[in-house]
Amino acid sequence: MNAVSRLGARIISVVEGVGRYVGFLLRSLRGGLLPPYRVRILFKQMHFVGVESLLIVMVTGIFTGMVFAVQANIGFSRFGAESLIGAIVTLSLTRELAPVLTALMVNGRVGSAMAAELGTMRVTEQIDALDSMAVDAHQYLAAPRILAATLMVPALTMVFNVVGVIGCWYVAVKQLSVTPGAFQARIEWWVDPDDLLGGMIKSAVFGLILSSVGCYKGFTTSGGAEGVGRATTTAVVISGVLILTSDYFMTLILAPLSVG
Amino acid sequence: MKKVGIELEGLQKRFGAQEVLRGVSLEIPAGEVTVIIGRSGTGKSVLLKHVMGLMRPDAGIIRVSGQDITRLGDADLRRERFRFGMVFQNAALFDSMNVYDNVAFPLREHSKLSEPQICLRVEAMLASVGLKDAGKKQANELSGGMRKRVGVARAMVRGPEFLLYDEPTTGLDPIMTAQIDALIRDTQDANPGLTSLVISHDMAATFRIADKIAMLHEGRVILEGTAETFRETDDPRVRQFVEGRLEGPIQ
Ligand SMILES: Nc1ncnc2c1ncn2[C@@H]1O[C@H](COP(=O)(O)OP(=O)(O)OP(=O)(O)O)[C@@H](O)[C@H]1O
Ligand SMILES: [Mg+2]
Repeated sequence: MNAVSRLGARIISVVEGVGRYVGFLLRSLRGGLLPPYRVRILFKQMHFVGVESLLIVMVTGIFTGMVFAVQANIGFSRFGAESLIGAIVTLSLTRELAPVLTALMVNGRVGSAMAAELGTMRVTEQIDALDSMAVDAHQYLAAPRILAATLMVPALTMVFNVVGVIGCWYVAVKQLSVTPGAFQARIEWWVDPDDLLGGMIKSAVFGLILSSVGCYKGFTTSGGAEGVGRATTTAVVISGVLILTSDYFMTLILAPLSVG
Repeated sequence: MKKVGIELEGLQKRFGAQEVLRGVSLEIPAGEVTVIIGRSGTGKSVLLKHVMGLMRPDAGIIRVSGQDITRLGDADLRRERFRFGMVFQNAALFDSMNVYDNVAFPLREHSKLSEPQICLRVEAMLASVGLKDAGKKQANELSGGMRKRVGVARAMVRGPEFLLYDEPTTGLDPIMTAQIDALIRDTQDANPGLTSLVISHDMAATFRIADKIAMLHEGRVILEGTAETFRETDDPRVRQFVEGRLEGPIQ
């Protein structure tokens, strides 16, 4: 009985947490839609999320493209279809790998930083100070961060796509024996703009997830420096899990889009 | 009869099992300096946060100019806060900004002043807290006392109707303490419409600046009145606190 009621209490607290998170997200999004618009802060956050993530995204992108070319070659060379390497890697990148890997990399860098920064502002009463000055903290702090990540994660995913294909091209054309013409022709034949579009939609949702969870965890931090540490870790873990689970469901929803 | 600025009635607040406020009732007269004293941990800061609507009470009423703010929604509460300025106990400066931007922040958010006008106002405010040349310093490079003073400047800069100070002078040197106390008193005397609420540990300063004093003890107001009331009371708990003695009913 005790175990049952403890489980019940646990479930209730999770549901409550989800409810509070959704409330936070709606408040922040509404704050972003209403004036005053925080353009300066938005640009600063876009720089932080986008420009400062470029290097890690490019490095992961190029090596992902390269390793997938090597792996695909192992399969395709058995029936002499090496020329398909480019197409299959590009498909996997645009539809799946680029959105997910970009989001996970950015989550590690940006989601954690947002939780830590806002968490520190919470425990040092800076968020209370904003409130006390009649400034909506959701609008001032959360909205620009969420908007910046929702815009910049797709942009970074695009970069990942491009460098990934370049990495793949390097392995397929320079190291294996695929001709450049065949490499390109197969990609054009097999890959649609819809594949790209689906990946972009996914990555925008991932950006929304990782930033809103990071901000939410920051806003709800309590318990000093230790609390900030805890908020940071949980934000990254929760976002990571949400990115991968939502990916599955979005793939199901988006599938009809590119079958036809 | 004096006009009431802020009125607290039966204010209760608990954190988990800990009852912090157990029915605080207090009238804070408009146009005066009211000082709340009490031991560390009795809930003075918690009380101040209730007055600003930063915390919601479990029970009780907070009236600001007659309006109960515990029932207000977020938007109305935010409008209400236009009228307040608050000095946080640990200053709560924005550490991503420098001193100047911290003090200019409320003006940039809520006034139509041009940047040169803001500059004049901020410079004057910084000078009055003795930080004339510190504008360019980053908030996280300041000493504790400097942070306090920036906090005071930031709270005062818009000229609010209510100024709440949470231990504005704790941790300052004696000269600076006297200067901030004088600033609190002078600001009050220069603005008849202003209502100041100060939390303090410093009895000498309290007697210097207060029009009214209230002592918070174990979640209730145990004595309120003028400096005279506090000098003459026989309540042993108040006597012990005012005289700063080790032995007595408060342990
Ligand atoms: N957010 C909170 N969550 C849980 N407990 C809290 C919270 N804020 C304050 N408390 C508790 O309430 C009590 C009163 O705290 P408060 O900060 O008001 O004390 P204080 O009178 O301002 O003391 P000091 O003079 O040292 O600043 C303390 O025991 C504190 O632990
Ligand atoms: Mg305090």
